[in-house]
Amino acid sequence: MITRQFGSEVRWMLRRPRTIIGLFGLVLVPIIISFGIWTAGDDESGGGGPGLAAIIQGNGLVVPIFTLFLSLNLLLPLVASIWAADGLAGEAQHGTLRGLLVAPVSRVRLLFVKLFGLTAMSLFAVTLMAVVGIIAGTAFLGSDGMMTLSGTTLGTGEGLLRIALFIVLVTFQMVSIGAVALAVSATTEHPLVVQAATMTTIIVFQVLSQFPSLDWLHPFLITTGFPGLIDVMRDPIPLGQIWDSTLLAGCYLLIGTGLAAMRLITKDN
Amino acid sequence: MNKRKVTLAAAAAGVITGAAGLSLLAMPAGAGQPPTLPDVSPEALVEQVLTSKPGAFGGTVEVDNKLGLPSIAEIPQLADGKHSARIWTDGNGKFRAALPNGQSEQTIVNDGTTTWAWNSADNEVTKSEHKADEPKPADEKAKSVDPAEAAKQIVGLTKEFSEISVDGTARVANRAAYELVLTPKASEKTLIREVRVAVDSELKMPLRVAVLTNGTSEPAGTVGFSEINVGPQDSKLFEFTPPANAKVTTPEAKEQRADRKPELGLEQALQGEDPQIFGTGWDTVVGARIPAQAMTQVPAEAQGLVDKFTKKVSGTWGSGQLFTTKVATILISDDGRVVAGAVPEQVLFDTIGQVK
Repeated sequence: MITRQFGSEVRWMLRRPRTIIGLFGLVLVPIIISFGIWTAGDDESGGGGPGLAAIIQGNGLVVPIFTLFLSLNLLLPLVASIWAADGLAGEAQHGTLRGLLVAPVSRVRLLFVKLFGLTAMSLFAVTLMAVVGIIAGTAFLGSDGMMTLSGTTLGTGEGLLRIALFIVLVTFQMVSIGAVALAVSATTEHPLVVQAATMTTIIVFQVLSQFPSLDWLHPFLITTGFPGLIDVMRDPIPLGQIWDSTLLAGCYLLIGTGLAAMRLITKDN
Repeated sequence: MNKRKVTLAAAAAGVITGAAGLSLLAMPAGAGQPPTLPDVSPEALVEQVLTSKPGAFGGTVEVDNKLGLPSIAEIPQLADGKHSARIWTDGNGKFRAALPNGQSEQTIVNDGTTTWAWNSADNEVTKSEHKADEPKPADEKAKSVDPAEAAKQIVGLTKEFSEISVDGTARVANRAAYELVLTPKASEKTLIREVRVAVDSELKMPLRVAVLTNGTSEPAGTVGFSEINVGPQDSKLFEFTPPANAKVTTPEAKEQRADRKPELGLEQALQGEDPQIFGTGWDTVVGARIPAQAMTQVPAEAQGLVDKFTKKVSGTWGSGQLFTTKVATILISDDGRVVAGAVPEQVLFDTIGQVK
């Protein structure tokens, strides 16, 4: 029963034209990045630039991680907020939510179906970006194992494992943002409000994290956890920051899901 | 109806748990109860620290730096603020250090015959083969973040000039440790109030060093393990193969390149061929003379940087610029004499005349 609801939710999401357009846009990102770095060529100055950008030349397997790492700041939260907005606010706008609320299905279960749809689609989108990143990176930049930030070279198999780990970590961040967006989505009938609220929050968080005088606030911001995920590219992997980021996102997931459930339960049809 | 209340309560509990989790994550980790350890005499502890052979270990080092240094040093871990580094050693001279700098990383590996220094920011490996017993700059850099090495040096240099005591116990990186305190004797003219070294109760290896200066209760600088696992380490950690795409250079070649940073001139002068040492103990002053040629080579941009962090001073010894941090003072006279030490400025004014 529940698996059928999960299935129909995902099918329903995939049928929306904007989902297809969104996925298509996401797929372009790794291709553009690989192409851009390939045309920049290997000039004598070496990679240059901070972080992964410096080691990406000739290191195609880094492209998926680089792409996801960049997209996590704006693009992926935007996509998560769109799906969360469609999930409840969008249905309310079309009047289909009313039918779901009066149906003899528990509202908590309805929320979990929505959350499942969000998770499945996030995982799908992130994996799709990573796979295209691997292909485009290998095609444009070549690959011979994966060079880490620590200067070691991992075999292709281990490199793919790192990419898989990063996919899971990024998806979790995305779902946590989506869960908070779902809570907003449960309060309104206007999907745009959900997207605007979510994106404003993410941008404001990122601005706030630029002020050293607000350093007491930084541990509470979900965006604080993003840069630490780059530790996947260090060898051996230091788990400290990755754990912290994931726990931080987990707290947001709990808060978002809890608030959304409270709102749905008390909602009068 | 009742079921609805239960689910509502469960959802509310979820929100509260999440919020509580956020505050827990934001809180700094507590130090935990200080362990109870058998008494030990300070002299014996110092002796054990100096003779201890740490053996193989791997760990994460947290550096908390409030020294007031501008972040121009080549070691990002020494700039103001909190930093972390990871170090591994096999106990027989091979080691690996990973120094993250933002999203980049420097890795230094000593595999026994060669020291490799990798910097991800410029995709470059510096390879220095060990010829004689001369210390390699990269080795020194890696050791500067090792609390055990730092503490050994401090204790070795200052024990004769300090009151030594054991001030209770502490828990560092989940290991029981004694707090060894070195307080400069009253005759020492220094900025430093005391140095606290947490010494592992089993291995007698320093786990944390904190430097406290006059007039503050918070340490001006702390270097300590936040996590350590003692025992044999994966031997692969002490091997390094330069990545296929990386440039491999030697320190000599790097030095000849034109893009050398001007601020290194001062560092080199102080570490140079013949630094002159004045005094002993805590108020030791190191002096050197920067070649006149190097003084005029400083580009205007770097000069601006120097001016920003220094104060103009003059006296019977001449005139120059004074650079003050919480734990050290550096005086550079206009004719190229440099003196530095963990001392108040007056001591430097008295000493600079002796620089040859």
